[in-house]
Amino acid sequence: MCVPETTSALPSFRRGKAVAVVVDGRAVRAFEGELVSTVLLAEGISVFGRKPQSGRPAGLYCGMGVCYECLVTVDGVHDIRACQTYVIDHMVIETCAVRS
Amino acid sequence: MIREVELAVVGAGPAGIEAAIAASAAGVDVTLIDSAPKPGGQYFQQSPEYFQPDDGSDREVEAKRLFKRLCSSDVTFLPDTLVWGLFAGPKPGTWCLTLHGPTAPARLNARAVILATGAYDRSVPFPGWDLPGVITAGAALRLVKNQRILPGKHVVLSGAGPLQLAAAAHLVQAGAEVIAVCESSTGLLWRCLPRLPAAWGQWSRAKEGLGYLMALVRGHVPYRLGWTVISARGEDKVREVVIARLDRGSPPSLGGQITLAVDALVVGYGLTPGTELCRVVDCDFEFEAYRGGFVPRRNENMETSCPGLYAAGDCAGIGGAKMAGAEGQIAGCAAAARLHRLSEREARARMAHARAVISREQRFARLVGDLFSPRPELYALAGADTMICRCEQVTLGQIREAISFGAQTVSDIKNLTRAGMGNCQGRTCGTIAAQILASETSRSVESARYLSIRPPIHPVPLAVIEERTQDLVRTSGEVTPDGSN
Repeated sequence: MCVPETTSALPSFRRGKAVAVVVDGRAVRAFEGELVSTVLLAEGISVFGRKPQSGRPAGLYCGMGVCYECLVTVDGVHDIRACQTYVIDHMVIETCAVRS
Repeated sequence: MIREVELAVVGAGPAGIEAAIAASAAGVDVTLIDSAPKPGGQYFQQSPEYFQPDDGSDREVEAKRLFKRLCSSDVTFLPDTLVWGLFAGPKPGTWCLTLHGPTAPARLNARAVILATGAYDRSVPFPGWDLPGVITAGAALRLVKNQRILPGKHVVLSGAGPLQLAAAAHLVQAGAEVIAVCESSTGLLWRCLPRLPAAWGQWSRAKEGLGYLMALVRGHVPYRLGWTVISARGEDKVREVVIARLDRGSPPSLGGQITLAVDALVVGYGLTPGTELCRVVDCDFEFEAYRGGFVPRRNENMETSCPGLYAAGDCAGIGGAKMAGAEGQIAGCAAAARLHRLSEREARARMAHARAVISREQRFARLVGDLFSPRPELYALAGADTMICRCEQVTLGQIREAISFGAQTVSDIKNLTRAGMGNCQGRTCGTIAAQILASETSRSVESARYLSIRPPIHPVPLAVIEERTQDLVRTSGEVTPDGSN
């Protein structure tokens, strides 16, 4: 059983193979099949970015790739939709906490 | 790279899969395209490969049957592929789709195209709706059912329609504390009773709905009819929400306000058809409030006003998965007839069953659409500093200013304020701006028209538009700006 050690992930549920990713410079264990947004939420991160025009926080909203609110930087590429991108081993994810 | 196909189907949900199978069964060379790694769409969304166990629901059984039929067909499936443009093809009467994906050609020339791009959640703005922690019903369902993670421990849901009931039930079953479910529509029972015949025969839906209600009853979740969330508060994340009874009047009066501590708020006021590709090629549109607003005008074969371009399922008007599947079958057979793989007579015969399904589903879609259309009063909840266009950070105050300046349509508002010009291309704020314009000027929502849209309909790197894509594609399906990995 691979039960993620996070409070909000559902227990008694087998996930994919464990992968190692980096979130804002921190090593984080994630699981194959998880989206970047899932990894961030499981880490307790809800502010993914800040609006350049106003500095207001932004995070997951539509969850289906429509609203572009959940943009993060993945492996140095900015403006990647966290809700549409699956994690892979050694992925480096950065939220606004690092960008600003 | 340019690939030639007979028929391209965009979107692998219930409509797209059925369309692809129907056309392929007639001998058509079909390519089915989806932005997700697996077919299914939002309705039949497949769990990640390693996630166990499946939930064993009726829907999962139905989905498995559908995928099996797709797998045993000759349909070519193009996963992880974003369609960012639709153009006239090189030969007269053909179409050209521009694509972005790790295994996709840059262009797909097709003699016919079926659009089955589905729908997305409709938003209603209120103070704090743009705070992190406020998510749509669609997002909540995806988190719980597909990703198996809770959006929060203490959740309030607010919206209109059956989708939030489903979201609430799944949240309860997954162990979240659902503090309240606010259904903004009123008089459901007396409005529904005279139209019961429209619901007759919808037993699987009744069973599903009853199951959700039972889950709420067992979880002691209060279901508040005629109530809605009126504001969300928190520093960088939603911490509390205020709910209230929405009474008629202008401005509407808000009774019995209650403040609740939450760590997530789920909102869903129905669905908006994803009509972007139809708008790109400027199909004729018609306004049908109960089907989600402006939808492409189609003939009985699901063909739009553009010859050889079909639209099936929720992207052409909200009707649910069963109607989508049936419309897909008709579009698939019609496209096969157009491509001379079926005689008109044979095509008609193959469509007969689907047509019967559609006439039954249409009555039900109309009932649900009428019962749960967002009440206009809801659009009075936003304040002058409430964000309407989240992408470009345009407030209600700025939109009001544009209206007093003389904006007549949502396109005027876009030109004056940038609302609808950002990354999402007005998918979130387009219908909201139309409602605001209608209520500020006391005109119909229809008269506000709809936003025009041009390729790329999703942001893509310039290198993709330049078709320098082959060397840019990464394993994760995204590209780097300079082509290096």
